[in-house]
Amino acid sequence: MANEIKFILNGQEQVYDGNLAARLLDVLREKFNLTGTKSGCKEGECGACSVIIDGKLMNSCLIAMGRVDGSTILTIEGYSETERFLALSDAYESVSAVQCGFCTPGMILASESILSSNPHPSEEEVRIGISGNLCRCTGYNSIVKAIGIAAEKGSGLW
Amino acid sequence: MVNCVTAHSLEEALVLRKNHELIPYVGGTDLMIHADEKSKYLFLHKVPEMKQIVEDDDYIRFGASCTFTEIIEHSLSPKILKDACSQIGAPTIRNVGSIGGNIGNGSPKADSALICMVTDSKLRLANSAGERIIPIKDFYLGHKKLDLLPDELIVEILMPKNGLDNYYHKKVGARNALAISRVSFAGIMDIKENKVKNCATAYGAVSDVIIRVNSIDNMLIGKTIEEAKELKDAYLKAFDQAIVPIKGRVGIEYRKDVCMNLLRDFLEINGI
Ligand SMILES: Cc1cc2nc3c(=O)[nH]c(=O)nc-3n(C[C@H](O)[C@H](O)[C@H](O)COP(=O)(O)OP(=O)(O)OC[C@H]3O[C@@H](n4cnc5c(N)ncnc54)[C@H](O)[C@@H]3O)c2cc1C
Ligand code: FES
Ligand code: FES
Repeated sequence: MANEIKFILNGQEQVYDGNLAARLLDVLREKFNLTGTKSGCKEGECGACSVIIDGKLMNSCLIAMGRVDGSTILTIEGYSETERFLALSDAYESVSAVQCGFCTPGMILASESILSSNPHPSEEEVRIGISGNLCRCTGYNSIVKAIGIAAEKGSGLW
Repeated sequence: MVNCVTAHSLEEALVLRKNHELIPYVGGTDLMIHADEKSKYLFLHKVPEMKQIVEDDDYIRFGASCTFTEIIEHSLSPKILKDACSQIGAPTIRNVGSIGGNIGNGSPKADSALICMVTDSKLRLANSAGERIIPIKDFYLGHKKLDLLPDELIVEILMPKNGLDNYYHKKVGARNALAISRVSFAGIMDIKENKVKNCATAYGAVSDVIIRVNSIDNMLIGKTIEEAKELKDAYLKAFDQAIVPIKGRVGIEYRKDVCMNLLRDFLEINGI
């Protein structure tokens, strides 16, 4: 029962030999200093801690480290180096879809998750896609709009 | 410090389960709510036998570690199950939460377990000595009490292939997507040539366990629609007595009323 796991984090292979029952969220923030992944409710309700694991949006607060052995993890820090991020970032900015910004990293990764499986989503599909990501400030309409704009202007990226 | 281990085959998982005190872990969406760093987990998300969705002559067989997203996207999944799974949590929960975890948590609120109950699905349980197949109804013994030996795992869910098309499913909760259902109801009515071939109902989140009383539903089976109509009052009365709600956040009477209303609606939609 070896206690060492390996995973790819934002494109780089990492070896981890700490507690495998620890929350991925805490390890990302404390060991890897990736504080763009936000800690909100720690109960899977708010989505502030969202990351993309093996292509799927997940709440890092509900993932034990042992679960990510062999996985590929993308956090907002890794994603922010992509062209797709720029398209989303411009779109969010253009309609003021960022206010306090606490939900934004998770929301951006939820947006990526929607567009990567469905480059031209309907409004309804966008709303379902972000339904696990709570925003206390915007009322969601501007975020939904921003994702629509990114899909249009960033056409071909997804 | 060795505290958790990932199994890569069913055989390995069962040996580990037998020789160590490990908590089965698939998605962690229930377990991690009260995460304890001292927990010793047995990760089951890479066991191939528990990740497949296949069919045989009578059943669609769902590996216990299949996520809700995988079930929703699979062509073999019956519509009634896809429908219930699509209403679970949010994408982040559906992408990790599993059907086996939903059954294994023993909650009467479990939405995919409700569908396993109304379809009279079976569970394939195994330990390193062998396996047994039991009706899911027998698996739930009482509040969070399961018919699962300390060295056993849920391996597969066997859902009948036929007769599930005419279904009714409602989840009544405070919020639409995120809240775990407060009251949920599923019914199946299979009518052929004006006769009730099958009638099945299940009630979630209202009692200690999901309620499924075959003997009452059997009252309508084999009857014509006209005969079923005559039996309707007696049938409703029997369920009114069988549904004994537990005290929850919403009033006892409210939960029960909702159940009975959904049951009536289900009958009416089917002409009874
Ligand atoms: C925000 C949020 C929203 C939610 N919404 C819903 C909802 O709408 N509807 C709903 O039904 N649930 C909901 N849930 C609860 C949860 O997501 C589900 O119960 C899910 O199915 C659990 O699966 P899992 O793989 O994550 O389980 P885990 O947490 O990994 O395990 C759950 C339990 O089952 C046991 N177990 C797992 N696999 C096996 C096995 N093969 N054999 C024996 N025991 C096993 C575990 O030991 C544990 O006790 C929600 C949870 C959260 C956090
Ligand atoms: S911190 Fe993970 S969902 Fe809220
Ligand atoms: S911008 Fe403040 S929570 Fe969304």
